[in-house]
Amino acid sequence: MAVPRSADFVVIGSGIVGSLVARKLAQAGAEVLILEAGPRVTRGEIVARFRNSPRRSDWMSAYPPAPWAPHPIYKPTDNNYLLQAGPYAYAAEYIRQVGGTSWHWAAHAWRNVPNDFKIRTLYGVGVDWPIDYEDLEPFYQEAEEIMGVSGAPNTGSPRKKPFPMDPVAEPYAMRRIRERLASAYTVVTNTTARNSRSYDGRPACCGNNSCQPICPIDAQYHGGLAAQAAEAAGADLFPNANVYKLEHDERGRIAAALYYDPDKNSHRVTGNTFIVAANGIESPRLLLLSASDTFPRGLANSSDMVGRNLMDHPSTSLTFDADEDMWLGRGPQSPSSINSMRDGPFRSEHAPYRLDFTNISRIDGTTRELISQGIYGSEFEKRLRHSAARELNVKNVLEVLPDPNHRIALGDEKDAMGIPKPQTHYSIDGYTRKGHERSKEDFRRIAELLGGSNLRFSREGDFANNQHICGTLSMGHDPRASVCDQWARTHDHENLYLAGTGVLPTCGTCNSTENAVAVALRTAEHILSEYGVRGMRPSGRDGT
Amino acid sequence: MGRHRPYLPLCFLAAGLWLADGGGRTLAADIPDAGLIERGRYLAIAGDCVACHMAPGGKPFAGGGALQTPFGTILATNITPSKTHGIGSYTLAQFTDAVRKGIRADGKYLYPAMPYTAYALVSDDDIGALYAYFMRGVEPVDEPSPNTSLPFPFNIRLLMAAWNLLFLDDTRFHPESDKSEAWNRGAYLVRGLAHCGVCHTPRNLLMGEKASRALGGTTLNTWFAPNITSDPNSGLGSWSDQEVVDYLHLGHAGGKSQAAGPMAEAIDNSLRHLNETDLNAIAVYLKTVRPIRNDGDDKPPFAWGQASDELDAVRGAPLPSDPNQMSGAQIYDAYCATCHQERGQGSFDGGLPPLFHNTSLGRQNTDNVVMVILDGVHRTLDRPEILMPGFARELSDQQIATLGIYLIEHYGNPNARITIDQVSQLRKGGVSSPMLKLFRIGVAAGIALIAVAAAYYLFRWRRRRA
Repeated sequence: MAVPRSADFVVIGSGIVGSLVARKLAQAGAEVLILEAGPRVTRGEIVARFRNSPRRSDWMSAYPPAPWAPHPIYKPTDNNYLLQAGPYAYAAEYIRQVGGTSWHWAAHAWRNVPNDFKIRTLYGVGVDWPIDYEDLEPFYQEAEEIMGVSGAPNTGSPRKKPFPMDPVAEPYAMRRIRERLASAYTVVTNTTARNSRSYDGRPACCGNNSCQPICPIDAQYHGGLAAQAAEAAGADLFPNANVYKLEHDERGRIAAALYYDPDKNSHRVTGNTFIVAANGIESPRLLLLSASDTFPRGLANSSDMVGRNLMDHPSTSLTFDADEDMWLGRGPQSPSSINSMRDGPFRSEHAPYRLDFTNISRIDGTTRELISQGIYGSEFEKRLRHSAARELNVKNVLEVLPDPNHRIALGDEKDAMGIPKPQTHYSIDGYTRKGHERSKEDFRRIAELLGGSNLRFSREGDFANNQHICGTLSMGHDPRASVCDQWARTHDHENLYLAGTGVLPTCGTCNSTENAVAVALRTAEHILSEYGVRGMRPSGRDGT
Repeated sequence: MGRHRPYLPLCFLAAGLWLADGGGRTLAADIPDAGLIERGRYLAIAGDCVACHMAPGGKPFAGGGALQTPFGTILATNITPSKTHGIGSYTLAQFTDAVRKGIRADGKYLYPAMPYTAYALVSDDDIGALYAYFMRGVEPVDEPSPNTSLPFPFNIRLLMAAWNLLFLDDTRFHPESDKSEAWNRGAYLVRGLAHCGVCHTPRNLLMGEKASRALGGTTLNTWFAPNITSDPNSGLGSWSDQEVVDYLHLGHAGGKSQAAGPMAEAIDNSLRHLNETDLNAIAVYLKTVRPIRNDGDDKPPFAWGQASDELDAVRGAPLPSDPNQMSGAQIYDAYCATCHQERGQGSFDGGLPPLFHNTSLGRQNTDNVVMVILDGVHRTLDRPEILMPGFARELSDQQIATLGIYLIEHYGNPNARITIDQVSQLRKGGVSSPMLKLFRIGVAAGIALIAVAAAYYLFRWRRRRA
């Protein structure tokens, strides 16, 4: 089937956010076309690649990039797609294929806490959002019902309706951690888009412990399901359509999207409304690539804020051995956390954070470590058994403040299609580093309460990245300081909307997906009310 | 979904709510005949009335359940005691005629989608209990149920009078004195209220059950209702009584067999709620049903297969660029091994069944292998819930055929066959039936025959009078 030359709505990017916007518009009867740079990939292929990979802990090994739509790869060698301008390397990972990056995620689907929306007002840092928690609450709920979310009842994000299901069963290790820390910390089940019962035709989690790189049974929600749902709702989805430029007319309205097919033939698609949902790095890249004589800094960029205010969640961690057998690896990879440091007056001084306990089986990591140390035979078996049973890890998830100097720009090098590669400018500021320092007190206390020995803090100055790319398309009231308004409509182009984590003006302490989905569902609702599309149906879960 | 029992899973979800709720009205001890009404409720469950007489998500017995037949969709009616839209005005005699003879209070004929040929065996006592329950134990719903409209000639309900002449034996169950009480109870249930033959007995061109092949197994066009006679290879002869009871009560018998499709619905709606005495009686009776051996059944379906894998051929081998060219082992590895494990052995606790020594893969008819891959198994009434996802959306016809062949070759009966065409037909809802055409011809011939016979007898009768 040939790609239509025109549609009412053209959505660029088929990840979880773009697809759920497309789904909602299509459900209301709108004509929607989704253009996806990468190929269509089935879960079976991903599972097969994962099972066949000699590098099981390299979660990207099941997602080889398409030559015509590359994404960053660092192992076994850096493919040098995401250029690093420093001073601190921002080694972002994402996936360019139908369904996008949430094919592999821990399925954390947190809501912000209400104060996350006004940290400038309350704490004198960062920026306020143009909306507040109440504005987003119904859309959080909508997202949670689509994705099948469950969680602990009170983690600081009040809700008007219950979760659509009960939490996934607590793994033994998490139970022991919760019990042993009870005197000092409240350890709660994470809020996740993972089935505790069959939901929407997908089975309950049965504890494969391979959420990343792939849930082999679709017990957790992902963008591939969102893309399927969008198509089922009537949206047309075309893979292998790498949009490299948006064209505007003389009035500044977006007129067309130009894309390359894998053979680098260029095609042009016109539309009434364009929604760029190509992720926190590729979306600003596209806007910058679309510079013209009228808009020399790129589209939507009169503020010069496109690509700026890049944020993620850096993490430091402590690994230690508990004084009892815990046996990480049963159940989901990331089941439990401590949420007491997500908000408080301290936010004027240092970054807030969540504390996450890993439940990833220690076997692969320990095995590689022992072999690299030259340990074999009975000693190997003894030490592997010890680590598999006792080793624990807790990490922080630190907030980063928006800083225009942290940004995605266009690099000097070009990718295989001859399109300039994205380039990052990034560092870890004092606010985040102070949060890291503060969290080390918690790390030590947690280890103490668990009888920890062999404490191994992550190397000082190293911050692991969590791939929650925020801020690069940030929403705000002031057109001079933000890219889009509260509806994620760009300040500069009346028919250009943005969707994705880049729209979030601050990153808070929780994984960005649910926030991005909720904001985007609010965008879709606004679009529908603006356009008066008739026959709109409630956007509940599929198959009902 | 099966052509004969295509009601949706939602239907039994709602049924579950209804059952959990005590089935409609609360029966206080001070209501006269509370025991009788309660017995009627139990019998209504044994008869699985709610399966058809409730629309998906609808109210119990308010009608609307759709039954796909080769002649069109038959919609069940409102059988609540509503005086306006249900059977609230039925007398016991009228109720009895409807249940046992397929004749409504207004004298019109029911279609034999209502299994009155089986219900004809139900005793007067049990009919009385059912009547008491439907009149006083069921909440009346004053809402109309949709009308059935079949194509000509089946819109002529009077035709059923002729059909009844041929296929309705309007006699009650007579216990056989030389058989045990359990056997007689089992025979009464299997042949009567539980109407097992409706699915498990093949039908002739006029849709009458072939008595000579009773419970010998037949296709429901999508799902296959297997042979449940006492034959040790083709039927249940090698099952222990307890295994039969377990299957009917739990929906699975150890790792040997598990219910899916319409049988899972029948279990969840009806059979699992029967008491142990009745389930045991059903097992005792089934184990004596005249054995029917299907050609080529050299051993029982669960005697085939063993743990095995082809991982050597999979690991390190690149995936083909065309997913349709994936090998059976690759598809199994990608879609099945997570639950059924790499050698088909299932989970350690039996919660996810082994694939070998399993009736599912040991039969010569492989339709259920394909159907379960397409539709999965979904039984919400169980705790823990049972869900095998369907793969209709994810796997192509060719991939399902490739996978199915891998499964039967490794874990099942390697003499069986699975073809891409078969998958394609089953995905579409089964082979489109020539029955309507054949039946029209058959009925026309039947009517002609009856007319001729009637004329002949009329002629003789007049001559005798003359």
